[in-house]
Amino acid sequence: MTVRSLILLLFVSLSVAAQDDAWDDDWADEEKTGLQWSGFIEGALGSRWDTDSQTGSKGTLRELRARFENDWANDSLAIGFKGDALYDEVIEEFDLKIRDLTLALSPGKNLDIKLGRQVLTWGTGDLLFLNDLFAKDWIGFFAGRDSEYLKAPSNSVRFNLYTNLVNIDFVWTPVFEPDEYLTGERFSFFSPLAGRKVAPDPPLSAVEPTGNLSNGEFALRLFRTINGTEYAVYGYRGFFKQPLGLNVQLLPYFPAMTALGASLRRSQWSGLVNAEVSYYFSRDDSSGTDPLIPNDQLRLLLGFEREAVTNFNIAVQYYLEWTRQHDRLIEHSLAPEFETEEHRHLFTTRLTYRAKMDKLVWSLFVFYSPSDKDYYLRPKLTYRRSDQWTAEAGVSLFAGADKHTFFGQLDDNSNAYVRVRYHF
Amino acid sequence: MKPLLIALGFAVSGLVYGQVLTDGDEIVAQANLAAYYAGKDSRSEARMIIIDARGREQRRQFTVLRRNLEAGGDQQFLVSFSRPSDVRGTVYLVNKHVGRDDDRWLYLPGLDLVKRISAGDERTSFVGAHYFYEDVSGRGPAEDTHELIATTDQHYVLKHVPKNPAQVEFVSYVTWIDRQTFLANRIEYTNTSGKLYRRVEALETREIDGYPTVVSSRTSDLTNGGYTDMRFRYIAYDLGMPAAVFTQRSLRNPPRQWLKRPDAE
Repeated sequence: MTVRSLILLLFVSLSVAAQDDAWDDDWADEEKTGLQWSGFIEGALGSRWDTDSQTGSKGTLRELRARFENDWANDSLAIGFKGDALYDEVIEEFDLKIRDLTLALSPGKNLDIKLGRQVLTWGTGDLLFLNDLFAKDWIGFFAGRDSEYLKAPSNSVRFNLYTNLVNIDFVWTPVFEPDEYLTGERFSFFSPLAGRKVAPDPPLSAVEPTGNLSNGEFALRLFRTINGTEYAVYGYRGFFKQPLGLNVQLLPYFPAMTALGASLRRSQWSGLVNAEVSYYFSRDDSSGTDPLIPNDQLRLLLGFEREAVTNFNIAVQYYLEWTRQHDRLIEHSLAPEFETEEHRHLFTTRLTYRAKMDKLVWSLFVFYSPSDKDYYLRPKLTYRRSDQWTAEAGVSLFAGADKHTFFGQLDDNSNAYVRVRYHF
Repeated sequence: MKPLLIALGFAVSGLVYGQVLTDGDEIVAQANLAAYYAGKDSRSEARMIIIDARGREQRRQFTVLRRNLEAGGDQQFLVSFSRPSDVRGTVYLVNKHVGRDDDRWLYLPGLDLVKRISAGDERTSFVGAHYFYEDVSGRGPAEDTHELIATTDQHYVLKHVPKNPAQVEFVSYVTWIDRQTFLANRIEYTNTSGKLYRRVEALETREIDGYPTVVSSRTSDLTNGGYTDMRFRYIAYDLGMPAAVFTQRSLRNPPRQWLKRPDAE
């Protein structure tokens, strides 16, 4: 039985699903008596409109996934687990993926420690990440997996210290955890070396930092809320999360990087404003002269969102990547025509309309870069039929004037997807 | 002695309950205290059954912690969801302010995301129910003008008109406030076409730790049909919760000490 037919079966189940609600009405027995598993089973299908000349395939998403979740806690510690069993027909692989396996402790009155495989998020951007340098999975995001999967887990220790003056978050990831990057396996991408779009087979595999302790990642956030305004400053020492550098063998690798930044978020004009800034120090190319290593960058984000009319929300963001010593970059570049502009401007819009008591959610997210002359449209429709059955359908549409820009390189990867989920 | 005591009792209760209020603002102030400020703090477990216009059912289960900074003034709420499985672990934190916008956050455990919620959407569905966010944390009395339109044996009947009509979907609403408990037994909303379209009603009230408390209520959509029933259980007041329970720490690390159910009801 193919994944496609199994998913069709899930659809049929969705359309005929009865009220199979098994809630016990006796509250006294409701309190957890032991380990209780929850989770979901999901089928997903996604495809390009045409066969991609590079990957030679149409399919972008064809998978069956079962999620299992559990947790246990007493007064002093908590254990959490979330794991997926996944059959991915696009890469013909069965996989067990642990998303969360953590031990949480509160050893001091003001200290929380969480140890293990976990998903980590901070910062104020919506699908734009400046100071959040935790691992992300853009491949799954482009293919139409649930937005939850945009955040990839990492094996980390997180310390949260809460004081009256400031709250401190410190995350140590002993072994560098990169983003899921474009490898050519599912999506083709632009190679500046080849000067064209490629989908290497075997897929691209970047060189990761050697696994000694000094090559770990350190992420720090100091934050405080004063009169409803959230202030935060951030620090990071590690590596670019994408393989943006080329080593002497011209193999892609993750250059060393340190980031410093700050953000604020508050209610304003009956909505929310957020601002965030981050400076990326490219530690191995601080002069900006090495053509194989990215230069320093200043990143800036401004955002505003509010309810326009009842159940209709509008959110807009402006984002800037300012590449420092851009003239030196161009001067030393091996392929200056493919280098990024000095100022990469990006606008995003998120429109959300919730209908039928939030059962139906229409959403459109747009990335548009006037400097790169490219865009990425993500319309989607989410339907919550019941507490058990949910479905989502959407499109990822990439286009651009040039084949080397971030979204422009993906234009042959535009796809539509649908997912059906049964929660248990 | 006995008849005297009884007479005294009548006299005392006559002073407390027999007094008929005539000022709408005063009644609303009392009703606001009774509905949202009972005790210094409280804990309760809630269950909602959401019935849509076609009779299909959804459920939500959550625990609500509340703490008053000042009676009738600023408050803090923490709502922790346990069911259904796709909202399990979601936590909603509100710092309610009188006279300015509330600060609200939602924690989504799947993404480890602390999402700020803008103040504008207070009159939108609370997690898919017929209740609004504003019904959970209360609507500020100063946001409407109040007029006492009738006083019956059991109720004060008031009509409320929003001072800023652009912010809300109603033109006016009428409340039936119990003269003894000051709890609203019924609230009915009228829309721009002059039609009654939404009703909130108390189905059961009990006295808990000395505070009259609505333990069961229903909100109905009178236009499309459908309603949400909300029941509260395991309610306790004056637990001595510290302010630290209502900080961002509790989003990622919910305060189990206060969320867990007391041993006996």
